[in-house]
Amino acid sequence: MQYKSIKKEEWDNALEKLLLSYAIFASIPNDSGQDYEELRPVDISKIIYNKPKPATSLKSFFLPVKENVTSEKAVKERILIGIPNCDIEGLSIIDEIYLDKDFPDINYRERRENTILISTDCIGIQEHCHCLTYDIKPFATSTADLALISLNGTMIIRIITGKGEGFVSTVFPAAMPLKDEEILSAVEKEHHATETLLSSANKGLPDYKKTGILVSGASTDLWKRHSARCVSCGACTTICPTCTCFLLIDKPGFEKVKQMDACQYPGFERVAGGEDGLFVLQNRFRNRYMCKYVWKPGKFKSTACTGCGRCIEACIGKINKNEIFMELAK
Amino acid sequence: MVNERNIYKPIMASLTDVIDESPLIKTFVLVPEKGFSFKTGQFIELSVDGIGEAPFTPSSSPLITEKLEVTVMKTGYVTECMHKLKPGVLMGIRGPFGRGYPIENFYGKEVLILGGGCGLAPIRSLLYALESVTDKLEKVILCYGSKTPSDCIYKPLFARLNKIEKFETYRTVDKFEEGWNESIGVVTSLLNKIKMNIEKSVAVVCGPPIMMKFGTIRLLEMGYQEDQIYLSMEKNMSCGLGKCGHCMMGEFFVCKDGPVFTYSELKDTPDIWK
Repeated sequence: MQYKSIKKEEWDNALEKLLLSYAIFASIPNDSGQDYEELRPVDISKIIYNKPKPATSLKSFFLPVKENVTSEKAVKERILIGIPNCDIEGLSIIDEIYLDKDFPDINYRERRENTILISTDCIGIQEHCHCLTYDIKPFATSTADLALISLNGTMIIRIITGKGEGFVSTVFPAAMPLKDEEILSAVEKEHHATETLLSSANKGLPDYKKTGILVSGASTDLWKRHSARCVSCGACTTICPTCTCFLLIDKPGFEKVKQMDACQYPGFERVAGGEDGLFVLQNRFRNRYMCKYVWKPGKFKSTACTGCGRCIEACIGKINKNEIFMELAK
Repeated sequence: MVNERNIYKPIMASLTDVIDESPLIKTFVLVPEKGFSFKTGQFIELSVDGIGEAPFTPSSSPLITEKLEVTVMKTGYVTECMHKLKPGVLMGIRGPFGRGYPIENFYGKEVLILGGGCGLAPIRSLLYALESVTDKLEKVILCYGSKTPSDCIYKPLFARLNKIEKFETYRTVDKFEEGWNESIGVVTSLLNKIKMNIEKSVAVVCGPPIMMKFGTIRLLEMGYQEDQIYLSMEKNMSCGLGKCGHCMMGEFFVCKDGPVFTYSELKDTPDIWK
């Protein structure tokens, strides 16, 4: 994969100019850590690179919480900066669902096409990060257009797609391919160090496939016990980079509003006659795990849980899915 | 070529007639703004303006593209609003969606159809399709059950089918009413009356979940193999596109992978009858 490098100062200046023609969103610090915000010139120097992770996932840029899907809207060209690979990988499965050959969603496609995805390699981990357990690296090598590593005043750019290459050639025409072995091996060293941290923090946590087997075989008692603290608030699905279920609401004029929904809400599966396979709390609770680790793997190539750990952080009942899996793996 | 269609936008259809089939069931005759074709067993999303949308398998012939019939039981909010509609209004149609009946697999075979209640709606469409290929089939037997004689829909259909060579129909009701001179009992009891060459046969089951469950069990007891039994599943098919997640049944999206499945495809999926 090709790398180019530029001075950090040069990168920041370019962003300031790009703000005139693009809507730019980047991960910047806030009271609770960091999150994606619309970039203002004053925030350029605050952009967080290489540190996991924005509080919310990437999906809302492509799947708004609520939108009228019968009216097509032009989307301004956008640049998203500072995306960790767990979010990039989350987008892979959303692409499979929303850009499938039979029924592509034209609003989603327009947003995807009009967005330049600039990922950032994770250097270091957060408490609940466990991407590597599910075979997802803490740095992007696909789906994103570019990936950034900020090292000693230099921005190292990994070029992933043709779109990314076009962007770099246009914005930084003088940037030459990076051949300096010392810098490249420093990048590799950072990758390795982060992977080591991930492995040691998640020792004993079953991998994606094994989790599927354990979840399928889990007893009713286990689901009952762990769901006792679930209040069906849907925070886990809302914050998840891969949960994309929705509801279609009819409006006068045969218009339809698509609103994000969640299998954790009562009534999700209810049919007109009143039958509801997920009426019982523990069944809804189990459904989310079955969906992510058993059913979706049978249907899609991409992973349905990217190990970002946000569902653990968001749960007001302090339910930690990894503790459940560790218990199952015992 | 890139498909530019907005998958959420319905096409318009004029409601030209409303036929009372039973106290709770009506058939809506729709003329879509442009020709509309579907394969028997596929479903559509039918919407009432500003009220809501619900999935239905058309009950009319798949060979007719200028007109569409949808038979609707009053069950929930949307269907209740539909039942109040009068001819002349516009309705919205999205689809057709999903996988219908693989009629070609029925060629050279005896077709046993087990229907219950409003489950006869998709079956009527299937019967029209089978009628058009009668020469390729050995025979078609329809066993239909309803709660009472008044709940029995498509009354003229049975007399008409019985006049067609290779077609036989049997009806039963759970509860007797004056004037009923056919069977009484659950629909599976009709299976004692018929004779099938099971090895050269397929079975189709469509009806309420409880009827589908016991119908399937009885067919397996009779010797039908799991892949000879075709089930038309009903879940909360909300988007029809394999996206919204409401109709997920194990690893299947019923709206896209179904609604017609063989029992062998579903047998390991939990809670299929719920």
